[in-house]
Amino acid sequence: MKKLITKIEGEATLNIIGDEIIEWVDIEFHQFRGIENYLIDKHYMDALVINPRICGICGHSHLIATAQAIENAFGAIITNKAKLIRELTLNFEIIENHIKWFYITLFPTQIKDKKYLFKALQASQKISQAIALIAGQYPHNSYAIPGGITSDITYLELTKVKNIIYQLLEFKQELWSDFELFFTKIPKNIGKSNNRFLTKNLDISKIKEISNNPYQKVTYNGLYYETGPLSRMKEYIKEIYQKYQDSIYSRIYARVYEIFYLLNKNLEIISKIDLSENSYIKPNITSNKGYSIIEAPRGVLIHEIEILNEKIKYYNIIVPTQFNLSTGSKDNPSAAQQALLNENKKYLDTIFKCFDICAVCIGH
Amino acid sequence: MPLKPKVIWIDAIGCNGCSHSFFNLPYLSTLLEKIELLYHPLLDSNEFKIQECDILIVEGAIKNTKKFDSNLIDIIESLFINAKKVIGLGSCASFGGMFGEGLIFNKENYGKFYTCKNKVINLPGCPIHPEWLGYTLEMLIENKPIILDDENRPKEIYSFVSHSGCVRNEYFDWKVDAEDFGTKEGCLFYLQGCQGPFTHSTCNKILWNDVNSKPRAGTPCFGCTERNFPKINLFKTDTMMGIPSKIPLGVTKRAYLTLAGIAKSLTNERLEKRLFEYEKTNNKN
Repeated sequence: MKKLITKIEGEATLNIIGDEIIEWVDIEFHQFRGIENYLIDKHYMDALVINPRICGICGHSHLIATAQAIENAFGAIITNKAKLIRELTLNFEIIENHIKWFYITLFPTQIKDKKYLFKALQASQKISQAIALIAGQYPHNSYAIPGGITSDITYLELTKVKNIIYQLLEFKQELWSDFELFFTKIPKNIGKSNNRFLTKNLDISKIKEISNNPYQKVTYNGLYYETGPLSRMKEYIKEIYQKYQDSIYSRIYARVYEIFYLLNKNLEIISKIDLSENSYIKPNITSNKGYSIIEAPRGVLIHEIEILNEKIKYYNIIVPTQFNLSTGSKDNPSAAQQALLNENKKYLDTIFKCFDICAVCIGH
Repeated sequence: MPLKPKVIWIDAIGCNGCSHSFFNLPYLSTLLEKIELLYHPLLDSNEFKIQECDILIVEGAIKNTKKFDSNLIDIIESLFINAKKVIGLGSCASFGGMFGEGLIFNKENYGKFYTCKNKVINLPGCPIHPEWLGYTLEMLIENKPIILDDENRPKEIYSFVSHSGCVRNEYFDWKVDAEDFGTKEGCLFYLQGCQGPFTHSTCNKILWNDVNSKPRAGTPCFGCTERNFPKINLFKTDTMMGIPSKIPLGVTKRAYLTLAGIAKSLTNERLEKRLFEYEKTNNKN
């Protein structure tokens, strides 16, 4: 049976074997844009404008990954201020993503009520504003450049950003009670996966991309891993994880938990920013290879670049959805495949979407 | 338009950035009450089907590729024929952008639906500013006429340039260029590739997310509403014999150079140095 899944920043087709219970599932994505080829022969700085356009919801992560990959190639240094400010805006993107995903993508799989959409937008508009105060606009800014950031912010902006965080923290109780509400509609212990996790502290030489037209599957050490909020937050939510393992409950819990973890983290970052430091230090341009590994909303994001005479000779992007949503084999299924195996079809939409899929990213 | 127009929002080849930008519209909840949204790629809606609608919104570029269980071009064509009004949302649907073709225009020629251009409103921008679509939908809902320019863009939006309202305008006027990135001082037009003086948009007039704009944050305007977006060398000003090859809209090169030369010779001392600097703090906790 073929099932079209929509509302995942694009679409995917699931080819399912099994009547009531899912015995096997293949995952197929449709869109392909060829951004890596589009970048060839362009000036390396142009990648800072093109790459955010990979994705409307996590484009800022692609920007930060691009800037860092170029910096890695140049051996460029940036000030602590630039580093902290980038971390701040990247965290905001993760927070905004999770809130939108929770209310706009996940909620309607069980509870259909427009009021949840408006709750999401109330919060997400504020977060977009916090990013814009620092980076100019959201989505699609290019304020992170090799050598630092383009903006020269003052305490006027930081004060506003801080107050947006306070407003968002007030949302905590409501979000957790909506989380509980969601789990009155669906069992907690379904959607268990491979129990193998990957964060940005990985060995890049163990990553392998396998062609699976039109996109590439990604293994680590020959196996499929799960990446994303549960991988990052596992250590912080130990009790939940021990009780529910890598079920939908833990996966969704980790995402909600991360929202408030990062909001508090951002307050801490703001207190550390020293505005007397430079925003930008001009890097020495060289012809070289570089890469970056960052944590995007959905997990590990890798950018690799080769620059020759200021032009891009090679570019490669590995997105988190490639890790989580690959189509593996029965002996070696990907995280999402394993999570769906032996589960009742009526839970399919929720289990699949609890990975927070980004179809446009996979179709880069 | 009927009292509550039926709207289909279809995503072609793109990044969903216009959808996410639209989600930042402050009055989105009241606007959504005024329409019947039959399909949206991200918002909860009924299953997609080809059907008639009052307003079709196409986000993304057109390309011969698979969509649902069909072909993207076929789907757009069927929807287009059955729609009373069509909005080409974002630079992809307006001009093709990075990934494909536009509805009625491409970068250098006409698009597939040029012959039906009378029912199309283009809203270029990468992404669109949420207020641009908010305004267009409200106008259509209320049956008010939208004045369009020769690229089918609403004049109320695209008669302005991105430069209008930029806080760096003082630096532009007195010809004080930003030598490098990362300062609040200096104009980005001469060296950093800023296309603000000839890019049609209201970015610095109404601001993004109600608070800021790229040039205000030290990033050049990339001309993302223009037909040739993205140009190459986006962080460099294209020059001819040391002079910007594209100059502010409406003046001759000679007039611009004369004025810039005079401004440069009449120094504005306030703008020649940093506005202020922070003292080093011992904030290492």
